[in-house]
Amino acid sequence: MLARIAQELFWLGRDMTRAEHTARMLDGAFHADVPGTPGERGVTLSWNGVLAVIGAKPPAPGEEAAEGAAAEAVHSAPAGILGRGEIAPLLTLDTENPASVVSCVYRARERARTLRDVISTEMWEALNSFYLSLGRYDLEAALATGPYSVYQDVKERCALFWGLLVKTMLRDEARSFLDAGGRIEGADMVLRMLRVAIPVGDTAGAFDEPAQAHEAEAIALLHAVGGVQAFRRHVRSGPSLNSVGSFLLYESAYPGSVLASLDELRDALEIADQTPRSAPPVLRLGRLIADLELQQRTVDRPEPLVEMLARVQAELEQIDREIDDRYFAVAALSMVHV
Amino acid sequence: MPGDALIDGYSIPDGSCDELLEHDGTPKPHVASLVATLRRLGPQTLMEAGRRRDAIFMQQGITFEVSGSDGERRDRPFPLDLVPRILTGAEWTVIKRGLAQRIRALNAFVDDVYHGHEIVRAGLVPWSLIVSRPSFARAVHGVRAPGGVYTHVSGCDLVRGGDSIWRVLEDNVRTPSGISYVLENRLAMTRLVPELFAGHRVRPVDNYPSLLLEALQAVAPGVESEPTVVLWTPGPLNSAYFEHAFLAREMGIELVEASDLVVRDATCYMRTTAGLQRVHTIYRRLDDDFIDPLDFRPDSVLGVPGLVRAYRAGTVAIANAIGTGVADDKAVYHYVPEMIRFYLEEEPILENVPTYLLSDDKLRKWVLGRLNELVVKPTSESGGKGVFIGPQASAAELEQQARLIEAHAERFIAQELVHLSTVPTETGDGHLAPRHVDLRPFAVFGEEIRIVPGGLTRVALREGSMIVNSSQGGGSKDTWVLDDGASPDLVLPAVVPRKPPRLPDIRYGGWHGQAQQQQQQQAALGPPASR
Repeated sequence: MLARIAQELFWLGRDMTRAEHTARMLDGAFHADVPGTPGERGVTLSWNGVLAVIGAKPPAPGEEAAEGAAAEAVHSAPAGILGRGEIAPLLTLDTENPASVVSCVYRARERARTLRDVISTEMWEALNSFYLSLGRYDLEAALATGPYSVYQDVKERCALFWGLLVKTMLRDEARSFLDAGGRIEGADMVLRMLRVAIPVGDTAGAFDEPAQAHEAEAIALLHAVGGVQAFRRHVRSGPSLNSVGSFLLYESAYPGSVLASLDELRDALEIADQTPRSAPPVLRLGRLIADLELQQRTVDRPEPLVEMLARVQAELEQIDREIDDRYFAVAALSMVHV
Repeated sequence: MPGDALIDGYSIPDGSCDELLEHDGTPKPHVASLVATLRRLGPQTLMEAGRRRDAIFMQQGITFEVSGSDGERRDRPFPLDLVPRILTGAEWTVIKRGLAQRIRALNAFVDDVYHGHEIVRAGLVPWSLIVSRPSFARAVHGVRAPGGVYTHVSGCDLVRGGDSIWRVLEDNVRTPSGISYVLENRLAMTRLVPELFAGHRVRPVDNYPSLLLEALQAVAPGVESEPTVVLWTPGPLNSAYFEHAFLAREMGIELVEASDLVVRDATCYMRTTAGLQRVHTIYRRLDDDFIDPLDFRPDSVLGVPGLVRAYRAGTVAIANAIGTGVADDKAVYHYVPEMIRFYLEEEPILENVPTYLLSDDKLRKWVLGRLNELVVKPTSESGGKGVFIGPQASAAELEQQARLIEAHAERFIAQELVHLSTVPTETGDGHLAPRHVDLRPFAVFGEEIRIVPGGLTRVALREGSMIVNSSQGGGSKDTWVLDDGASPDLVLPAVVPRKPPRLPDIRYGGWHGQAQQQQQQQAALGPPASR
């Protein structure tokens, strides 16, 4: 299939997944924040955490200074009050900000327009309605009074999109790229969240801070991915940062875990690629998956979670680049010449 | 001002105090922020939020079964009033300590009843009273519950009278329910009216399932690795089924019915697709009477034959333990302050409501003389059934009650009327009026006693009514315990805010990501080039 189309499909998947994850994270941060208790207990997946995960604005000249000023402002204002009022709209509604939920959906819809002959009609209509709904009602007012319903709506519409994909889209190369985009973004988002939430330093359990404080953070993390019930059914003990971190990284039975996403990514690439056995991204991916599976089965893990996370993310970045090179570079060349 | 319409004509009933407002209508200092926000939102917003709440509750199945006037049982959305009830940290500390003390004493009492009867020997509680309680279980005489814990889950009802003093109205250590509503109420409040929380720091309640699971695991009989804990429900037709399913889901444990359990060789198992799996702890939500047809009611189809045998053999822990109901009988309640002094050698932190046992002749006559001032309750009922309120009774009702007492004195107790405190409650048209409330905090006893901040505030929705039970038309409110630095027990040291690690840049790609991709590259290189 056309490299350009494949790339659009890939990024459509990524944009949709990014929109959903961002919405879920914001909902999670909101949920933790509203009762107003964080304060000293510092739920890390709070507003600053979410901002760090999403990566605020893409770096522009003078960003360092702006960052510093923003950071200063955050520290001087009472915790929670500055964050919610500013960051939630920024990451949800701000069309200037490419990382916001709305921007992701706008981009996805634009891509879908070029892909109308490839994705099913029902998928297009679902996405288009989603886009139209964001313009239709007063999002700002809704966000101020009842953010939960805004995020709920985003989750439902994304679920509709993926559900229709599963039902109506032919299992061909096109679909594989769409799937691959969704999966790689999912893995990346969860990795970013874990890296922000789990402290650099000792994760082996020897925190000075008591378990209770970290349990709240672990639950916030689970809320942010929608994995609370899955975790409770699978791990029949109280959540700790370590157990939640391991669950979200290694647990192949949980579809949102990094390992599960990578597995699906590999499956998608194996369908999409003509010669998967000699494809660098597929091979690298296979190696990463094998490594994770080994870690999962090892009871006494030699490598602390924090280092594992950093390593996996670096590998994933590399795989992302290799995917770009192998399938889309051809199209990129043509764009440069234009 | 539109907001003032909210509390127009707010008149606190004689003899009661209001929890949020002073008698002149001004808000108490710790709720200033809440009242200001309520005024700003106004009646319309409140009603609108109420409609959304009903829709959401119906959608999520958070309902309570109620018998309609035509006798049909139907699901109605759980009545959550959107105005929370607020307790300061200091108030809560007193309540928490008092309850922990009381539960420890009740636990010791249960153990004593089925072993040495020390408190009877000391002449403090008559043996005839204990043995005549319907919930006294001969079958477990001499059986020590694993870990020495009998009252794993308790919900003691507290009330605050016109003198502002907290008292215990009633103990519930059999199968107290309502915690699921506490958790769902808080969740609903944060979603429906998040602005009410502004300016307050409210202690979280959502760690209850973890607390309960830990406690249930802690009392499991001798096993090194993960014990199997299950929640035993009578089934989906039970009116509290929502809570059973909720807790099982939140704890991540199996929700079993009687047919799933079987006892072989005095050990309890559950039937799984992989054969029989041992069960170590059962959190049971049905009454003793029904749990084992071999030792209790033989006509029970909800029970597991041989379960008591397994319990006696010590191979399974049952929460709450069999026979614990002897401690929450309304007649036994009268002796609880004595129990605290006897078992713990401490003075009770929380007092009882003055109660009179009617089996004593002189006392009975005195009570009959004051019947129009007192409350009379049957000792064996629950859920507010059969409660007689003197000051609200007609002459005919007074006479009838007097006759009942004369005929079966031992089936009743009399209590002083407590003028329950009130909290502003939405009356259906967006306005707020005072309604009477009580408080049911939930405690979990595993290795130690942990109590969830606040608990279920039950509110009588009808004006002037003091019956708060949901089966009698009561509603509930979210209960906030403020994190105002006044709780010395809350010793969590500050978690140092951490700087997040430097993550790789978020990527953008394809046609529509071109602009962002270029921005990123240019930022790395220097001043932006024109496209």
